[in-house]
Amino acid sequence: MAEVTPGKIQIMRVSFAALAFLIIFFHLLPLDTQVRSWAPPDLIICLAMAWSLRRPDYVPVLLLILVLLMADLLFHRPPGLQTLLVVLGCEFLRSRSQPQHETTFAAEWLSVALVITVITLLNRVTLSVFAIPRAPLSLSGIEMFATIATYPLVVLFSQTLLGVRKLTAAEAEILEARK
Amino acid sequence: MAKDRSQREDYTTPLRRLLVGVACLLLAALFLVWRIDSPRVERFRAQLIDAVVPNMDWAMVPVTGFVNLFRDFQSYQRLSEQNRELRSELRQMRAWKEAALQMGQENARLLDLNNVRLDPKLTFITGVVMADSGSPFRQSVILNVGARDGIQDGWATMDGIGLVGRISGTGRNTARVVLLTDAASAVPVTIQPSGQTALVTGDNSTAPLLTFLENSDLVRPGDRVITSGDGDVFPAGLLVGQATLDRNGRMRVRLSADYERLEFLRVLRHHGTQVIRDPGGLIVPAPGANTPRARPGNLELGTDSPASGAAAPGVNGADNG
Repeated sequence: MAEVTPGKIQIMRVSFAALAFLIIFFHLLPLDTQVRSWAPPDLIICLAMAWSLRRPDYVPVLLLILVLLMADLLFHRPPGLQTLLVVLGCEFLRSRSQPQHETTFAAEWLSVALVITVITLLNRVTLSVFAIPRAPLSLSGIEMFATIATYPLVVLFSQTLLGVRKLTAAEAEILEARK
Repeated sequence: MAKDRSQREDYTTPLRRLLVGVACLLLAALFLVWRIDSPRVERFRAQLIDAVVPNMDWAMVPVTGFVNLFRDFQSYQRLSEQNRELRSELRQMRAWKEAALQMGQENARLLDLNNVRLDPKLTFITGVVMADSGSPFRQSVILNVGARDGIQDGWATMDGIGLVGRISGTGRNTARVVLLTDAASAVPVTIQPSGQTALVTGDNSTAPLLTFLENSDLVRPGDRVITSGDGDVFPAGLLVGQATLDRNGRMRVRLSADYERLEFLRVLRHHGTQVIRDPGGLIVPAPGANTPRARPGNLELGTDSPASGAAAPGVNGADNG
């Protein structure tokens, strides 16, 4: 029952930002200045989607935008594009998930995979429409599949270690009553 | 209770939807502004990096050091094997050293004979690599020197041996170097000994492509590739690497710089080369030199012109190098 106190929500918001910052930090480490033929998964997208499906109140849109925009700017990507797509994707997932309905994980994974695919495709299409040089297709493909493949791990990590799981009906009532 | 909640949602969701809509519009606007007025947004990006990355340095340096230590430790495991390799390499190197010493002496003698003065303007600032681009799609690093140290956009960056990249985006304390392997990088080069000019174009692979070669038959694998200084992009004569053939039969450049471990980079100060624009005049007047001075009328023209012609190249030679 201690899950839904406002203090806990604030702490989880801060820890979302901290986790994203940690991911950015490890990406920026100058360990690998050579060209890589593979791409690591985009963990920030995984985290954002897993959390917005489970506890949307932990990832308010403004926090999400702030974190993603920071990543866009630091990683030298076109600013705003990836952020826009991921925010829209998370909103879509959030609107589709019903807190009362227990959906199976396979269904959730499928919808997340679809959203990630659409994000990657839209990103590439927009870049080509605006005549901005794109990354090689193979790299974005590898990144997309890696992101989809790591999604269950991120979910497992957030559920077991951080306790980000869906609210039970009783907890939802408490949260509603407190608002 | 259920009714209560649905009412609350009726009240909050449109507001939330409006907020999300406005935020998305702002993001799209940011992207468009970046596309239209890239330098302004890039300057903002450089300032942001300048504010954020140096603050992370205290944590980045130990973590990087630790990971590198671990990698070194892994390599210690095959120490004896490495030792054997090194010994055989050392034998080869002794022979090379002898050759290099002789060549160095010969070079010094020749330079002395020609009385060459190497370009006094080409000095460098050394910076330490703080961070890389963080994404596999962009090849760049961030240096810990910036506008405060007089770094300007477009300057060439080398490690001890070869060209590494070009400054693109300077903050106060940081500067971004776009590496030659980045897809956005193109550098005009000359290939020796044939003298062919080409562009070294990055394509996100370890060895960038040689494009716009006029006659690729004249270029053979192993030829030296140096910057040509065309288009005033870089000073001429910086070593880039060696030409190689890839599996598809295209010419690429094996870079001389050690991309595996970029740690200390030199940024070459470069204030532009002098260009001869007037087709008649072979000699560029040195800035500040008062070349066409009015002569007394009783001097003859015949003695005047060779004298000024002989004086001017001396002034110029020092500038052009």
